[in-house]
Amino acid sequence: MGRKSFNTKTFADTIVNTFNRYKLQVAISVIFLVLWLIFFTMNPKGFSEPATYAAITSVAPFTIIPALSLTYVIISREIDLSFPSVMALGGWVLAVTWRALGPTPIGVILALLAGLIAGLLNGLLVTKCRIPSLIATIGTMFLWRGVVLVATEGFSIPLGKFRGTPIFQVLVGRIGGIPMQMVWAITIGILLWVFLNFHKFGAYIYYTGDNRDAAKMLGINTSKVLICVFMLHSVIAAFAGILVTLEMATFWPALGEIYLLKSIASVIVGGTPVTGGIGTVFGTFIGGLILELIETGILAVGVTGFWIRLVHGLVIIVALIAQVSIREREIKRMRTIMGIG
Amino acid sequence: MQGLKYIVETRNLVKRFGDVIALKGINFKVRNSEIVGLVGDNGAGKSTLVKIISGVYTPDEGEIYIKGQKFRRLTPQKAYELGIVLVHQERTLSENHAIWRNIFMGRELTGPFGFLRIRDMRNTATKLLKEIGLKAMSADTPVKYLSGGYKQGVQIARALCFEADLVILDEPTIQLSISEVQRVLEYVKELKKRGKSCIFISHNIYHVYPVADRFVLLDRGKIVAEFMKADLTPEDLSHIMVSIARTGKIPVEYEKINLIHSSQE
Repeated sequence: MGRKSFNTKTFADTIVNTFNRYKLQVAISVIFLVLWLIFFTMNPKGFSEPATYAAITSVAPFTIIPALSLTYVIISREIDLSFPSVMALGGWVLAVTWRALGPTPIGVILALLAGLIAGLLNGLLVTKCRIPSLIATIGTMFLWRGVVLVATEGFSIPLGKFRGTPIFQVLVGRIGGIPMQMVWAITIGILLWVFLNFHKFGAYIYYTGDNRDAAKMLGINTSKVLICVFMLHSVIAAFAGILVTLEMATFWPALGEIYLLKSIASVIVGGTPVTGGIGTVFGTFIGGLILELIETGILAVGVTGFWIRLVHGLVIIVALIAQVSIREREIKRMRTIMGIG
Repeated sequence: MQGLKYIVETRNLVKRFGDVIALKGINFKVRNSEIVGLVGDNGAGKSTLVKIISGVYTPDEGEIYIKGQKFRRLTPQKAYELGIVLVHQERTLSENHAIWRNIFMGRELTGPFGFLRIRDMRNTATKLLKEIGLKAMSADTPVKYLSGGYKQGVQIARALCFEADLVILDEPTIQLSISEVQRVLEYVKELKKRGKSCIFISHNIYHVYPVADRFVLLDRGKIVAEFMKADLTPEDLSHIMVSIARTGKIPVEYEKINLIHSSQE
């Protein structure tokens, strides 16, 4: 009998734990749906048209893709402010290579390689030179932007003639009306989600952010983990830079700048606290979608674009309040269950 | 051969912090399957000694032998690989994560391409929790929701899971309620039953006494006395401790059972 009641309890625990584990993700999805409903009610016609969604999904990936890997950085209790410059670096390397060699995968590979080097530099500055990531990545943010500015002398590089080439189609073409960049965002999101939750690397990212001393004491090479996280993030940022460059069919030296705060906000709205140790890729994805939905939605309902930042601000604050309240309730609930005062 | 008798042995360990000499030539041994109660006042050097053994501090002089192998210095990783696990209040836990993740932290079971064998780890964790008397606890519970005693339990479960040879418990009963202390002492008995060696540091004689085989008394960086449990009562031990704190010496009537003096003279 004892055995039976024990199993039932464990089963109930598992269900409750599973629900509680995803409570934040549910909350963020609800915020997304509520916003969508508001916009839909205000402009039912506009929000019934596929063109509206095509607009959202063609630009949202540029915020979402770097935000996805930034989630890894923030979970490991670090920050990276250099990724918009790395996006520009990636876009520039691609533009220059394609102008010289034509639309070749070599351009993509070289751009990703540039991202890898930028990430390695961030990782080394943080782990070997022991510079706090906030400071180190401000340095590299200026460095890579500076490199691009010096190299281009501030001029844009047009790439319109490569439109329609196969590689262009694979990167930013349309598949059944869906922009390829959205397919890339979903693919990267799924991959990062899988690695974070089911791979040793993901576990080490969590431990590095949650209790770095403990992780070190238990033999985890946290420096190596951080270097890998910074490299991964910069490679993905460079990839996002390639997509932006190709979607606009132009490289321009200020590329990426607008994504700095939007991508960070996506991670935070998505439920990953800056204190590290916890966080989800799914939350970031929805967080990014929310910010982009607001941008398109505000314009679609016919108010001026000046409202965008205001609504962004309100939604960020509402999301943060919701997160804090969910976490506090959870602590209270668990303490009651565990019988701790 | 002598090396194999002891899981850990230190010879003339000296540790200085600036002008302060924290350890003044410590010769300390732990036998296989032995629980050593390491007692002493604040600043006696207890924590410094175990931090050297677990690789956190590097000694200024002296040697450490682990399973007969000589080391001048250790790192926490090396000590961990050699089977030394430090159990410290909350220090070695990832609070936001599930019990099963904490038990396998740093030594995850992995399948192809480094993917986690989550089901295996969860099942093993559940079994371990049951074995050490935490059967009502789901292995999915995040550690931050556990009480202090249960947190010690998770760390001890980790030590059992890794087949640790020496478990160092640094003040495991500090700030715990009476029932929680009993729980931790049960875990320690479980370790002993499984033939593990243990160093149990505590201020509280009544917590160490029931579980230890031998007591090592530290005072101002020196081992001043060593007793077998069979030779004295908790009251005797308490009396000796008070005397050391007041005069720096043990009462003469206990000298003949003091292992340090009987072996040196």
